[in-house]
Amino acid sequence: MDYDATIPQREPDDVPESRSRRGFLKLAALTGAAVSVGRQAGALSEVPFAARELSNEKLIEMYRTILRIRWHERTQADQMLENPDYRGYNHFYAGQEAVATGVCAALRNTGARDQVDLAYSSHRPSGHAIAKGVDIPKMVAEMDFRSTGMNGGYGAEMHIADPDVGFAGADGMIGPAPVIASGSAFAMRARGSDQVAVVFAGDGNYAAPHFHSTMNNAALLDLPLIYVMENNLYHQYAHYSLSCPHVDIAEAASVYGVHARTVDGQDVVQVYNAAKEAVDRARAGEGPSFIEAKTYRYYNHWGAPGAKAGELGAFGYDPLAITHFRPEKELRAWMQRDPVDIARKILVDWGVVDTARAREIEEEVKAEIAEAFEWGLAQPLCTPEDGLKNVFVEGTVPPRQFG
Amino acid sequence: MAMKSWMYSVLEAVQHEMREDPAMTWIFELTPPVASNPGKPVINLETEFGRKRVVNTGIDENWMASAVLGAGLAGSRSATYIPYQGSCMPFQVIQNVAAKLRHKTGGRAEMPVVWIIEMTGQTPGFAQQHSCYEEDSYYMHIPGVRTVIPSTPFDAKGLMHAALRSRDPVVYLYPAGLRTLTEEVPDDPFEVPLDKAAVRREGGDLTIVSSGAGMPGVLEAAETLAAEGIAADVIDLRALTEMDTETIVNSVSKTKRLLTVDQSYYTLCPGAEVIARSVENVEGVKVKRVAFPDAPPPASPEMFLWMRPGPENVAEAARALV
Repeated sequence: MDYDATIPQREPDDVPESRSRRGFLKLAALTGAAVSVGRQAGALSEVPFAARELSNEKLIEMYRTILRIRWHERTQADQMLENPDYRGYNHFYAGQEAVATGVCAALRNTGARDQVDLAYSSHRPSGHAIAKGVDIPKMVAEMDFRSTGMNGGYGAEMHIADPDVGFAGADGMIGPAPVIASGSAFAMRARGSDQVAVVFAGDGNYAAPHFHSTMNNAALLDLPLIYVMENNLYHQYAHYSLSCPHVDIAEAASVYGVHARTVDGQDVVQVYNAAKEAVDRARAGEGPSFIEAKTYRYYNHWGAPGAKAGELGAFGYDPLAITHFRPEKELRAWMQRDPVDIARKILVDWGVVDTARAREIEEEVKAEIAEAFEWGLAQPLCTPEDGLKNVFVEGTVPPRQFG
Repeated sequence: MAMKSWMYSVLEAVQHEMREDPAMTWIFELTPPVASNPGKPVINLETEFGRKRVVNTGIDENWMASAVLGAGLAGSRSATYIPYQGSCMPFQVIQNVAAKLRHKTGGRAEMPVVWIIEMTGQTPGFAQQHSCYEEDSYYMHIPGVRTVIPSTPFDAKGLMHAALRSRDPVVYLYPAGLRTLTEEVPDDPFEVPLDKAAVRREGGDLTIVSSGAGMPGVLEAAETLAAEGIAADVIDLRALTEMDTETIVNSVSKTKRLLTVDQSYYTLCPGAEVIARSVENVEGVKVKRVAFPDAPPPASPEMFLWMRPGPENVAEAARALV
């Protein structure tokens, strides 16, 4: 694939050329699906191929998880486009499914608080939530502001959380989550637990000062922290070359002494291999790991109800992206390496299922998601006065809007 | 003179100042400094002034806030646009560095800098972390930094000119819910003072004081009240630091009834300061305070819209006061 033709075009400008910007962009583009591996970040071939130990059942479950994320999003997008009563919004994850799935497949997703592994999410949380094992119907209800939703309608998409499965939650902010995750890892290490803390963060998080604090302290204290950087090339509407001087952000992590890998985020097996290595290291007290997954989101930065195809808040065209449109050819090129297709092909090639069974599984997942939406969107709306609850453990705060 | 949107009015001021001063810089993240308006040329600071002066940076509000301060100390006027949820990230550099610099250098530090800080959260559903219900209270508490909050496109432009020309650092709060407002705004530069409230309506039966995102609802309520025979003085604070005590006290001395309206949390809302200054200066004032309850704004529109003070809440409180 010729990615040179599809990289975001920039007008010549007067930015000081401290290093060759053009050369950088070429490199950045090449890292797209092909995966470039820096010496410091560790070569792919060094990653133990842990996926070969996975049972067929586990491999099928990972395929189902990828499909659940994909069909949850496609169904939600349809709701936004077609259902005038639907109110939820989302920062879509479609295209990145293999990252959440591959990482969470290597974690403990059940058990008491002192056993389950913790996953911190970003403001693009639905894939992480599903991969960690949240109740999908309750998540659907939450995203549509229903009182029986996962968080009682208080949080909605950017704030979903389910501590019961170790899903520490979404975070609407860029910056804090990795540092906080390092605090969880600190506590796990201090109490002698073999739990690990994982944080999913986008390429936009690199520029925040929190990155330094997280890496520095994780390395200093040998924390069982796994920082999964999902480099989907864009933070909101800006290409990551505008916020990061590295081609591989993993290089920055390795400078702190953090074990760092760069993986193809479209391939669930490669992600799993890197995640399993990181988890094994963390559980054995060997300290933090950093995984940069090269990936891509198919939809806009976010989608909202009342969307119209090709117009504001819809999909494929983003009017807020005034300075940096994502080139359609770039999107198409990434869709050629679709994580669903890749996962299906692996299962078929490995003789886990045949093509017909793989299609059947997809139909089963579609039905499961359709049921989740049917249940979620039939749930009761919130009671206004409940807005005064949950400020503290007990009681309500006084209403002040009446004077 | 033309009908102009909020953002066009603001960027028109910035464009003028950047043309006048080739050293001035602008730092942004995510939100491009671009605005269009019917019948007017598109403003794009990034293409007009180039990326040496107009920088699209990473999501790093700490750098943005610190960098404009450093630019100011190096002798360049500088402004930055910090969108929505990033608004309290740069708090430390504004509160514990910029605010104290003039004082601690015995008046020697020069800081011709502006932090444009969005206040979001007026849209139901955004909720929680994408809602800024405390920032006016936080920033107005800081001495040494002027904090202003326009509520109209005209004031947005005039206050921007004044802020960029000021030798004091300015926190320029931008209630994003007002971005859809349009009004007649002059093409030529003009200043709105950084320390004067605006009297939006003169009545005499009671004084209603609000600011920023609270203003449209207050003006609507005042209209309703007028139809019922209750005439209100309506004051738009505009300047939170330094607050225009004189304008408030003049009105309250006349009406003896004061209603404050804020979209931010009840505790330490700007209205609390307005009430304190009024009762300190005027005998026998009856007061009421309408504000968002001391709870984070929830996602559910049912909860949120009930909690957010609307025009009907303002009118009802006003009726109870007169």
